[in-house]
Amino acid sequence: MIEAYLIHLLILIGIYLILALSLQLVVGYTGLLNLGHIAFYGVGAYASSLLVLNLGFPFWIGILAGGIFATATGFLLALPTQKIKGDYFALATLGFSFVIYAVLLNWTSLTRGPLGIPGIPRPSLFGISFSSNISFLILVIIIVIITYILIKRIVYSKFGRVLQAVRDDELAARTLGKNAFKMKTYAIAISAFFAGIAGSLYAHYITFIDPSSFTLMQLIPVICIVIIGGLASLRGTILATIILILLPEPLRFIGFPSSIVGPARQIIYALVLLVILIFKPKGFYGKLKLT
Amino acid sequence: MFLQLLINGLIAGAIYALVATGFSLIYSTCKFIHFAHGAVIAFSSYFLYWLFSLIGINFWLSAIMAIVFAALLGLGTNVLIYQQLQKKKASNVIILISSFALLILLEALILIFFGADVKTLGFLKVAKGLPFLGAVITPLQIVIILGSLALLGLFLFFMRKTKLGKAMRAVSDNKNVAEVVGISAKKIYNWTFIIGSAIAGVAAILIGLEQNLEPMMGTNLMIKGFTGAVIGGIGSVPGAVLGSFLLGFAENFGIWFLPSGYKDAIAFVILFLFLLLRPNGILGIKKGGDKK
Repeated sequence: MIEAYLIHLLILIGIYLILALSLQLVVGYTGLLNLGHIAFYGVGAYASSLLVLNLGFPFWIGILAGGIFATATGFLLALPTQKIKGDYFALATLGFSFVIYAVLLNWTSLTRGPLGIPGIPRPSLFGISFSSNISFLILVIIIVIITYILIKRIVYSKFGRVLQAVRDDELAARTLGKNAFKMKTYAIAISAFFAGIAGSLYAHYITFIDPSSFTLMQLIPVICIVIIGGLASLRGTILATIILILLPEPLRFIGFPSSIVGPARQIIYALVLLVILIFKPKGFYGKLKLT
Repeated sequence: MFLQLLINGLIAGAIYALVATGFSLIYSTCKFIHFAHGAVIAFSSYFLYWLFSLIGINFWLSAIMAIVFAALLGLGTNVLIYQQLQKKKASNVIILISSFALLILLEALILIFFGADVKTLGFLKVAKGLPFLGAVITPLQIVIILGSLALLGLFLFFMRKTKLGKAMRAVSDNKNVAEVVGISAKKIYNWTFIIGSAIAGVAAILIGLEQNLEPMMGTNLMIKGFTGAVIGGIGSVPGAVLGSFLLGFAENFGIWFLPSGYKDAIAFVILFLFLLLRPNGILGIKKGGDKK
C-alpha cells in the first residue's frame, strides 16, 4: 500500500521534472516567462492519446507525435511573439494558452470537449507492457534521464551560451551577429517538445484527460519549481521539483476531506511562491533575478 | 435578433467595464498588472453573500460593507505583497507572477470557506424581461448598464476635479516629478488600490446580482476585463471602458458566425492579437510596461 503510494509520487515527480526542466530552458536560460507552457503539455497529451486510441498507433509513435505536435504549437506561439518582451510576452503567452484551452474544450468532435478522453491505454513498447505502476516508473525514469542529459547538453552547448547571451543583453548579442529572434524561437520549440512528451506520459499514466488538466492552475506549481529552484540552475530545478511535489502530501494524512485538500494545495503553492518572491527571489541555486 | 445581440453585448460590455475600470486605474497609476483584481471582486461577492444570504443583514448595509471589504482587501494586497516586492526592486514580471499567486490564493480560500457549488444572492426575484422593440431586457440589466456608465462618469469627475484625483494623475504621468512637488507616491499608490478596489466592490455587487457566484468567477472576469482594457488601451480608464464594450459586442455578434461555445475563445484570440499587434490599444498613449 505505502509502496504503491511512493511509486505514484515518484512518477508524478518524474513527469513534473520533465515539465520543469523544459520550462527552465525558456525561463531561466532564455529569460522568457512563458505562461503558455501548459498548452504544450496539453497538446502533447491530446495528440498522443488520440493517435493511440482512435488510430491504433503504438505508444512510441504516440509519445513522439505528442512531442512533435507540441513543437509545432511551440513554433505557432514563438513566431508571432518573438519581438515582445517582459510582462507583455508573459501575457501574450497566457492568452495563447487560453486559446488552446478553448480549442480543446470546443472542438468536441475531436476532443470530446469537457467530457474528456477516458480509457487511454497504458503504454507497451516493443512487446514489453508498462501497465503496472512500477514498470511505468522505470519508463518515466528513463525518459527523465534522457531529458536531463539532452537539456544539460543544450544548455552547455554553443547554442545554450547564445541563449544566455540573448537573455543577458539582447542588443549586444544581436550586435555580435547572433539572430536573437531565431534563438528564442528554437528555445521555445525545444522546450515545447519536452513538455509534449511530459503531457503524453501524464495522459498514459492517469489514463484520462480533460481540458481542465491544462490550465493556469496546473502551471503555477511548475513556475513555482522553476523560480524556487533558481533560474538557470538544473540542480535547483530537480531539488525544487522533489520538495514541491512532496510538500502538500502531508495534507492527505491530516484527515482533511478531499474538498479541502485540493484548494489547500493551491494555497500552499501560492504562499510558497509569494514568500520566495519577496524574501529569496533567486531561489535555491539561482544566479539571477527575473527581469 | 440584431437588437437582442446588441443588448446582450451592452450587458456583457457593462460587466467587463466594471472589472476593467478598477484594474486599469491601478495599472495606469502603479504601472504593474494586478491580476488578483478579479479575485478581489469574487471574494467581495462571496462576502456580500455571507452577510446578506447567510447572516441575514439588510441588503443595502451588506452592500456598503462589501464595498469597504473590497477596498481593504485591495489595500491589503498592495501593502502586504506589492509594496514588499517593490522595496526589493522586483521587476514587473515578478509582480505579475505574484499577482497570479494572489489570484489563486484568494480563489482557493473561497473554495475552502464556501465550497465549490454555485451560490445565488437571491435579493431580487427573477424578474420577467421587459420587451423592448422586440428584444428582451431585465430591469437589473438596465441598472447594470446605467450603473457602470454612472460609475464611470463619477470616476472621471473624481479624477479631474478632486485633489486626490489630480495627485493620482500626476503620479501616473511622472512619479519623480510628482514626488518633487510633494506628493507621496506611496500614499497615492495606497489610495489607488483603495479606490480601484472599491470600484471592484461595486462590480462585485452588480455582478453578484446578475450572475451566480462560483469560486473561479474571478479568473473569468479578470480575463474579460483585462482583454477589454488591452483593446481600449490598458493605461487609460476611458479606453478600458470603450474596449470592454467593444469586447462585449464582438463576443455576442461573433456567435452569429461561430458555435456559441467559442464565445470565450473570441476574447482570447482578440487579446492575443492585440498584445501582438497593438499592445497600446485603441486609446492607449504610451506603454507603461517593461521598456528595456
